[in-house]
Amino acid sequence: MSGYQTGLLVILSFNVIAAYAVYLPLSAGQLNLGIAGFMAMGAYTAAYLSNELAWPLTAAIPAGAAASCLLALVVAVPILRTHGIYLALATFALGQVITAVFLNLEVVGAAAGYQVTTFTGPATVIAGAAGVLAFMLLLSRTRFALYLTAIKSDPTVADLMGINVRGMQIAAFAIGAAIAGLGGGLYGHHFSFVEAQHFSVALSVYTVLYVLLGGTQTVFGPLVGAAFFTLLPELLRASQGWRYVFFALFIIGFMATRPQGLITADLLRVFRRSRRAPEAAQP
Amino acid sequence: MIAQQLVNGTMLGAIYVLVAVAFTLAIGVLNFLNFSIPGLFMVGGMGTWILMRLGWHWSVAIGGALLAAALIALCVERLAYRRSQKSDPEVPLVSSLGFLVLLENLVLATVGSDQQPFPALVPDFNLRIGGLVIGAAQIISLVIAVCLVVWLSIMLRKTSLGRQIRGVAENRDTAILLGVDVGRLVPQLFVFSALFTALGGVLFALNYLQVSAFMGEGIGFKGIAAMIIGGMGSVWGAVLGGLLIGLTEVLSISYIGADFVNITVYGLLLVLLILRPQGLLGRAAAREKL
Amino acid sequence: MSAAPALTLDHLGKAFGGLRVLRDLSFTVRAQEPTALIGPNGAGKTTVFNLVSGVYAPSEGRILLGERDITHMPSRRRIAVGLSRSFQNIRLMSHLTVIENLIVGQHVRASGLLDLVKPFRLVPNHRWRREAIDALAECGLEAYADESVSALPYGIRKRIDLVRATLAGASLLMLDEPAAGLNPTETNAMRAHLELLKKRGVTLLIVEHDMHFVDQVCERVIVLNFGEKIAEGTLAEVQRDPQVRSAYLGDEAA
Ligand SMILES: Nc1ncnc2c1ncn2[C@@H]1O[C@H](COP(=O)(O)OP(=O)(O)OP(=O)(O)O)[C@@H](O)[C@H]1O
Ligand SMILES: [Mg+2]
Repeated sequence: MSGYQTGLLVILSFNVIAAYAVYLPLSAGQLNLGIAGFMAMGAYTAAYLSNELAWPLTAAIPAGAAASCLLALVVAVPILRTHGIYLALATFALGQVITAVFLNLEVVGAAAGYQVTTFTGPATVIAGAAGVLAFMLLLSRTRFALYLTAIKSDPTVADLMGINVRGMQIAAFAIGAAIAGLGGGLYGHHFSFVEAQHFSVALSVYTVLYVLLGGTQTVFGPLVGAAFFTLLPELLRASQGWRYVFFALFIIGFMATRPQGLITADLLRVFRRSRRAPEAAQP
Repeated sequence: MIAQQLVNGTMLGAIYVLVAVAFTLAIGVLNFLNFSIPGLFMVGGMGTWILMRLGWHWSVAIGGALLAAALIALCVERLAYRRSQKSDPEVPLVSSLGFLVLLENLVLATVGSDQQPFPALVPDFNLRIGGLVIGAAQIISLVIAVCLVVWLSIMLRKTSLGRQIRGVAENRDTAILLGVDVGRLVPQLFVFSALFTALGGVLFALNYLQVSAFMGEGIGFKGIAAMIIGGMGSVWGAVLGGLLIGLTEVLSISYIGADFVNITVYGLLLVLLILRPQGLLGRAAAREKL
Repeated sequence: MSAAPALTLDHLGKAFGGLRVLRDLSFTVRAQEPTALIGPNGAGKTTVFNLVSGVYAPSEGRILLGERDITHMPSRRRIAVGLSRSFQNIRLMSHLTVIENLIVGQHVRASGLLDLVKPFRLVPNHRWRREAIDALAECGLEAYADESVSALPYGIRKRIDLVRATLAGASLLMLDEPAAGLNPTETNAMRAHLELLKKRGVTLLIVEHDMHFVDQVCERVIVLNFGEKIAEGTLAEVQRDPQVRSAYLGDEAA
């Protein structure tokens, strides 16, 4: 594999991880517009632990994810009291605050950025993304995943069915944050450098953008969305400075014609059915 | 000196007010977090700069930029808002974001990513009161912002268009039953919203004498904060929120440090969202009915 | 006839702002005695269901399920103590398929942490899925198992909503207008379904405008008007009641 391809695969891996971090709470109807903040939390925690306390990678990166998860749990209780657009904006503000705090934190280099001494190769990053994907595929086959969709559809009825709506929402939010933290930790160790400016609003909202591009109805949507988002600009590379213009035009056109995203539940159902009965596939 | 900072904060706040009003019209009436608004802010400032470089007179250039913003807003309405009415609430947000990406990258591809110097249109005249220095551009911005907001608030209360807008904000279905032509009203709202934010961009250029492809992001996102702090959908809330954010920003730059701005501004927003999500002047959202 | 009370409303009142929707409402639903709650539009029938299921808190009074006071019990816990309901405007989860809706309906019987995170849908024909399919098959609906609910006809959705409400194994089932909007065939199917539930010992409390349906399904009728109980008894008894005739059957009696 060429360096270019490996590089692309690494970017794809980071995007896949971020996509699932956004997808999980979104499948319960909660839009997290501050996912970059949680990535920063994971990145800085993992970097600090391996730099200053000489923790091994296998402990530092999960600890980064745990720290991010913990932060989410702490803020979940007040933040998830808000709904809909308020929640989206609260997470948006939260992401900004987290990033700004790291921008001012001297122990991790503040605005100058933070060098990470341990390096981890592309294999770890790709394995991390594969792990997240496997975890999400498993999770999508559980009651938990069903309940999240149920809550998105109708929280009142979900509550009357006996489902702990708040609990499920908090869990989805926190697990999503842990995934983001994992991505952050891998990011810092792969690029050997963490800077707060990277974890910007743009990173958060772009992630939401490609998750919705892929579609939130099924667990495959974020994967396809992340792949699309990673590869499309590459395909448009020939157009140079204009590639993001074409990319944006594509997004606008796509969302206008297929707002439910690329991969929908109906699409998968058709696919499964035609696999189950190949002879009956011909209409 | 604090009095001077208060003046500067108020002037900066005036620009946030315009952006926050733009957001509040979209959210309060249509329940649409329109992420293209920061892009339209940039179109206001950058568009003026481009047209002036083409040799247009500044007044025509400003008019042209505002017109461009209005036309783009109509596209946003058509492609981002109207098409995704029946889908998940996040969808229009994403496609409006597509417009922000589009506008920024159009400018990036044609003008480049550098800050461009904006010519000083307003004579370099300073008003001095006591020890305070107030620039002419600052005064003009404040006057325009105040006039626009007052006009908007009167329009909403006194004219039939304003009553229709408030009706749709109150309850869209009832308004339609009562004969409000939403298909016509909504594009008008988008145009209003675009004009406010684009004018904010023009005033920003006049005051800070520079424009760039990304000038809308920082201001636009703080405009969202201003809107929420004031209370979504409340015009006077947007005014209050805009001024508060402007003051908070200027005061924290001069007393804590420039890098702390995001902590104070968004921290303020976060606390408010948790304690009083409806904002300072907003009303609590109605509870779902079974 | 068994006289044990399944549900007791004790001087229940509800006001929305200044609007008093229910006042001083007391009645008892006896176990295994199918009961109908009837009354003109806006009488407060759905509000009774909303109070009993805990969607709203009552302004005054008490609600007892059996002997147990559930007035302040969180809405989410009520299904576990035997209370289940359906909705007047069917509220199936539109993002889920039929079978997924039913599996959500089983929640109280599979609410452990392990149940929550077990990837049971990797197992072909898992017990939970089979159970839900069986429940569908009982009323001949199994063909719809993997359809998305939003695409189904109204009558089918209505009965799936009922199946879902029964899956929790609740002892008291409150149905808000189960026959409304159904054609005669579907109404018959719905009635057969309710008979089956009665045989299993489920206590039914039904809001219904179709008096023929009420007559066939219920043994006792409670009449509400403007949030107050105006009569109670068999359908024949309440139909003779002059107050009911003027309020509820007013136009027919005149
Ligand atoms: N959440 C609420 N807020 C305000 N008023 C309400 C609310 N819910 C119900 N009401 C009012 O309470 C009254 C009773 O409503 P309810 O839905 O209980 O009537 P109903 O007997 O079920 O009528 P129908 O036969 O039409 O279903 C109505 O006047 C209704 O407008
Ligand atoms: Mg009703």
